[in-house]
Amino acid sequence: MSEIKQAAGTPLSASVQANVHAVNARFGSSSDLVVRLFRSDAAPERVIALLYICGLVETDTINESIIAPMMAMELPPYAEEKGDLLLESMRACVVPVSSVKDVTTLEEALQYMTDGRCLLMADGSAMALLADVSGGNQRSVGIPQTQTVIRGPQRGFVEDVQTNVSLVRRIIRSSDLHVQTHKIGEQTHSNVAVLYLNGVVDPSIVKEVYRRLADIDIDGVLESGYIEEFIQDESFTMFPTMMNTERPDTVAASLLEGRVAILVDGSPIALIAPTTFFSFFDSPEDYYQRFDIATFIRMIRYVAYVISMVFPAFYIAITTFHQEMLPTTLLISLAAQREGVPFPGLVEALLMETTFEVLREAGLRMPRAIGPAISIVGALVLGQSAVQAGIVSAGMVIVVSFTAISNFVMPEFNMAGTSRTIRFGIMIMAGLFGFLGIFLSVLFIMVHLASLRSFGVPYMSPFAPKPKKAGIWRGVFIRKPWWSIVLRPMDTNLRNPKRQGSGRRPPAQRHSRQ
Amino acid sequence: MQQIGKSQLALLIILFLVGSTPLFELGIKAKQDAWLAMSVAAVAGMLLLAVYVKLQKRAPHVGIADLYKFHFGRYIGGAFTVLTSIWLAYESMRNVRDFGELTTMALLGFTPKWIIMLLILLVSAYTASKGIEVFVRVVQLLFPIVVISYAALIMLVFFSGLVKASRLLPVMENGPMPIVRAVFPDLISFPFGQTIVLLVFLSLVKEKDAVGRVSYKSLAIVSLFLVAMNALVMCVLGPELSELTSLPLLQVVQLVRLANFLERLDIIVTLLLYIGLFVKITTLYIASLFTASAVTGISHRNLVFPIGVLIYAMSFLEPNNTYHIWIGLDITLKVVPLFIVVLPLAMLAVGIRKKYRAEAAGGNGRQQAEN
Repeated sequence: MSEIKQAAGTPLSASVQANVHAVNARFGSSSDLVVRLFRSDAAPERVIALLYICGLVETDTINESIIAPMMAMELPPYAEEKGDLLLESMRACVVPVSSVKDVTTLEEALQYMTDGRCLLMADGSAMALLADVSGGNQRSVGIPQTQTVIRGPQRGFVEDVQTNVSLVRRIIRSSDLHVQTHKIGEQTHSNVAVLYLNGVVDPSIVKEVYRRLADIDIDGVLESGYIEEFIQDESFTMFPTMMNTERPDTVAASLLEGRVAILVDGSPIALIAPTTFFSFFDSPEDYYQRFDIATFIRMIRYVAYVISMVFPAFYIAITTFHQEMLPTTLLISLAAQREGVPFPGLVEALLMETTFEVLREAGLRMPRAIGPAISIVGALVLGQSAVQAGIVSAGMVIVVSFTAISNFVMPEFNMAGTSRTIRFGIMIMAGLFGFLGIFLSVLFIMVHLASLRSFGVPYMSPFAPKPKKAGIWRGVFIRKPWWSIVLRPMDTNLRNPKRQGSGRRPPAQRHSRQ
Repeated sequence: MQQIGKSQLALLIILFLVGSTPLFELGIKAKQDAWLAMSVAAVAGMLLLAVYVKLQKRAPHVGIADLYKFHFGRYIGGAFTVLTSIWLAYESMRNVRDFGELTTMALLGFTPKWIIMLLILLVSAYTASKGIEVFVRVVQLLFPIVVISYAALIMLVFFSGLVKASRLLPVMENGPMPIVRAVFPDLISFPFGQTIVLLVFLSLVKEKDAVGRVSYKSLAIVSLFLVAMNALVMCVLGPELSELTSLPLLQVVQLVRLANFLERLDIIVTLLLYIGLFVKITTLYIASLFTASAVTGISHRNLVFPIGVLIYAMSFLEPNNTYHIWIGLDITLKVVPLFIVVLPLAMLAVGIRKKYRAEAAGGNGRQQAEN
């Protein structure tokens, strides 16, 4: 699975002492490097060295599967004759570890040691064995923290890429699920796994993903966000062109739709590409719940997204420029509330929106123990008291709260963040130019959205441009019943655009046999 | 090379022609027969479109600039191309100006016009710089909004009982002559003759054989709609009132009152007109860009800024709205037939020059859009 850059590195020496010395020097005599020298009964005149980095390996495995059998090993007689054969026999007959590898260069040996393998060397041999004994402390697979569902699998990704790949493979049990791992990062050598469903995916997209990954040259990759910024189509856009998910079932669903998933070492968040604007409004749960309810909820999400983007702007525009839009009674009550407020609508709204954003960020970052304090301060002091003190109007508090709640409806955090940011721009435009400002901002955003692409797929498809395959767009706003979702929703050159045969509609009423 | 699909072309034609047209009660010279005048003009517009499509068929892979060149030769054709480009920019500027006038009239009484026009032009320039492909996608996104809003408006006008079909009577009170006078040259030039911009865009359509069919169909649909809207306004306001108001549709909607809360629907109208104007400004802007780029050889992306400045500067030439409308309805309408009727008919008569025949048919001729 792993591809290591075959650098023409320093060859290992035949002397164990020299090799141990070299490894030690490269690691700067780090205290977590463990060197164990011993002799075996079988070849008592030759020193055998075992090197590993503690914390990355399973010490029990080393003790039981490597040191113990090695000390007690009996070698075939020919092993004595030549140096390499000792190691060869050790690998063949002695070390009961599933993955063992030969190395001949120092660099390669160091590289694998930092992956959690232990290095075995024997005097008189310019080769070394690497046995996979990786282990150590890791977070166990648990409930996804950021994307919760009521109905559906409750397993989330962890930081280890191998575990994550296995989580996906447990859902798609097919040899068509292909996994390619790349090492990215000069210093971190992070594993980046690309997953796709062979026979479904558009091969040119996979090739494009590889090409963009190969272009990355960075010292360290700590999270999938690093990769995302390198491989996305356009840097200067507020809209995410790759989907992020913590859920293996979402990744599996995307793979079945012909997308490509990218998992990164150290991050429980997977990237999915290509992505369209509308796919950010689908929660995995839509496809687990009943279709009629899911459709309703999806509509709510679209409405909420629009509200979270323009609602405060509308309030500003109406109270500042277009009072005649409101029914007279509502206008009077709003005007009465605003009577004591010293600021114009725009300032009032900016004040409250900023306050809310501060509260939200504080709620996210502060230690858990003082959580309740925020709700008291937020709800009582900044809400009710601000109105009573005449700093803001009650209408404004309602607007801000509703906007804030609407923003949490989005299943995808990065898309929600977009509307959170853009909202301020639209508010300012609304404060300056009323409805014209809102119109121009929304138009600008539409043009921008129409110009985006995600790995060559137009961002606003299947609406603009219309798909070549008719009918895909129907599945965007409406969650169709499963038996009617015949086509995969992506308008790319999928190898296999159909996900099931058509005409699988169940009869309207099923009678039992009796 | 950017390309557009045939359904995109259809939507572009429809939104472009709807544009700001419902803003005005066109053909009001014919009094209550304005809708008849519109119908006649639509038929005439269809004939013109047939001429354009015929010209395009002669050289399916080139735009208007190369069509001029193929028919009139390099120098005369080049001169016409320059003129056309400037005229298209001017038409775009007229819509920018309309946008400014509409906003100050309907929405923001105190905001200076220069900033309103600057803002809409900036959005247009941004769209133009992204290219025609992105623009037609935006049109696709706007289309459902426009359709739903117009449908809602028309329904509300009907439900509020404002429509009195008797206002269309008597038909042809003074014989057919007032209708004919309203049609030529005014209604031909605006809106139906503006299909001339299609000569810029038709060559970009992927499905070449569908071009004619799609264009005719879309023009028919949009003509029906415009005639219906025209008649609707007339049915609500009557000939005298619709002649007096500067924005008759706005007047109509202001009369709608339903269920105690559906009042003040002007905002929907204004929004619709904004969308229409935006599509019109940008279409003409891009058409001007492509034409200018074909004659100068500069890529259209690099021309976005200079032509934008040109349009913006031109929009200050007229001191006020009355002057603007007077120029639009009296002066411009007399010049426009040169571009939309005379030149195309001349091309039709002259035929492609011998030395360009191969190039016109081969499709390897220089494409208008550089990328």
